[in-house]
Amino acid sequence: MTEVYRKSGRVVRYENGTFLSVSETGEAVEEGGVFQARPSAEVPAQTGVSVPHAAADVEGYVAQTLLSVRSGRIERFIASAGTATHETNGITWTEESRRVHISLVNSPLRALIDLASFDREIVQTVAHALARAGDERNAPKRIRLAPNVSAAILPPLIGELAMEQTGGGFDGRGQAIETRVVTHDAPPNWYRPGYAVRPVRAWLNIRALPFGRIDPDAPLGIALLEPVHGTMLRVLCVDGADVFPTTVDASHIAAVSRAAPVWYPYAAGSFGAEMML
Amino acid sequence: MTTFAIASRDELWLRGALTESRLMHGAATQTGDAIEASDARDERLVHLCESALDEAHATVGLLRDARVRVVVRAMRENDVESVETTMTIAVDGVSVVTTPSNAPADYELLHRARNGSAPLRGPIVWWNGSAAVLLHEAFGHASEHDAAPEVWPQWLSIDAPLVSRRETFRDVPLLRMKHLIAQQNDAPFALPDERVDVQLIAGGAYDPLTDVVTVDVAVSSAGPFTIRRSRAEIAASLAGASEEPVRYPGVICSREGQELYVASLAPVMITDGLL
Repeated sequence: MTEVYRKSGRVVRYENGTFLSVSETGEAVEEGGVFQARPSAEVPAQTGVSVPHAAADVEGYVAQTLLSVRSGRIERFIASAGTATHETNGITWTEESRRVHISLVNSPLRALIDLASFDREIVQTVAHALARAGDERNAPKRIRLAPNVSAAILPPLIGELAMEQTGGGFDGRGQAIETRVVTHDAPPNWYRPGYAVRPVRAWLNIRALPFGRIDPDAPLGIALLEPVHGTMLRVLCVDGADVFPTTVDASHIAAVSRAAPVWYPYAAGSFGAEMML
Repeated sequence: MTTFAIASRDELWLRGALTESRLMHGAATQTGDAIEASDARDERLVHLCESALDEAHATVGLLRDARVRVVVRAMRENDVESVETTMTIAVDGVSVVTTPSNAPADYELLHRARNGSAPLRGPIVWWNGSAAVLLHEAFGHASEHDAAPEVWPQWLSIDAPLVSRRETFRDVPLLRMKHLIAQQNDAPFALPDERVDVQLIAGGAYDPLTDVVTVDVAVSSAGPFTIRRSRAEIAASLAGASEEPVRYPGVICSREGQELYVASLAPVMITDGLL
């Protein structure tokens, strides 16, 4: 029997001054090696796709964030809240999501923030530090990476750093996501970011296993200044009263915090915890 | 209030075999700074898409050793309808973006263009309209971002009107290039003996924060390479041009995650000082 994946959802999104409300239902099938996707008139059985508070939540977050960051410092600001119901392989499940992407600028620097929560504090912290940033410096001998930064480096470190896939929920083919050790082997689960995207095998919701000891006095990389290239990170670093951009090689992790990690929307999901290089 | 409706068909063919097929449709209504959008189906637009896709299939059949992505978009924006068919053809990792009518010639170019091993120094001669990509980044995107004016050569005129465009009903319309047409009028032109001949481009970018233009050359007499220069340096490097503008086979332009086709034409051009 051909497996049909169906998704119905509604999202409210703020994007650089415009508010959008989008609702849609689509389905995908794979038959004879051909992946096909199209809108669907048939909605998943459990559909309770109403997000009565989403618009207010997004509007509130946007207004507060715009108030808290100095004018002209936000280059790009996207915030969304949505609900989606998925149906495939005989099961139905519903997810709620929040996403934030902000780029803050202080020429020639650009700090990138990606979140899965409406967290204003981190935006204010990065904006404040960016405004005080000095010239580029060599990487400190020891540097800590904040959770929002360390989460971005996990996908390129798969197979190089002790990690596990965090169990819970369902993957893009309706299979349960189980806690597994992450290896170079083919992942057991499938990642499907949208109904019109062909699912691919991927490790989902990865997290680094804690080890070592974090030096709380080491300088802290608080934000990415560029997307990650391999294991190289260009970060905004805070060292006491000093703030500066620096480039670090994250191929050797010296310690991973035991504090509860936070989920970030990098790759197929990545938990960030403080790390030290 | 503005209204927008779209239907699109998208197919991926690998060496003559269909591997992915998509239908998308929807509509959006904008009032002030708010957009309400859904996947509403407009039968007329869907029909226009299917007809254009059927026509494109005749061309796809000719491209047996390539990776071919066909995208047909039928749109209605405030009662004005348009249909656009693009084909992205890739052979051995190098691609062009074209239309069904131009696909055979561009497919031939893909097979003809070969990387060389000349030294990466001296002036660059931009063939096949490839200078349009350089200007797309340095002039077109800079205009989209309202960058400060740059001093361009007197012999160069660039037509790159900005219009409201969006990729799907889920997107915010942005002021984007409709096309870019560069023309020369009595430009100096003398082919240097030592030069790098550029045939095809892999991609490009403009960073409004740093005013830096990046162009990744895919095929040249010196092999693939990357240029990363300020917009002022790009403008100052334009040393000559010849002939009428020719269509460059590409550009799919990505901004804010929205990929749009931008027809781009330029004459043969020479830049000096970029290597």
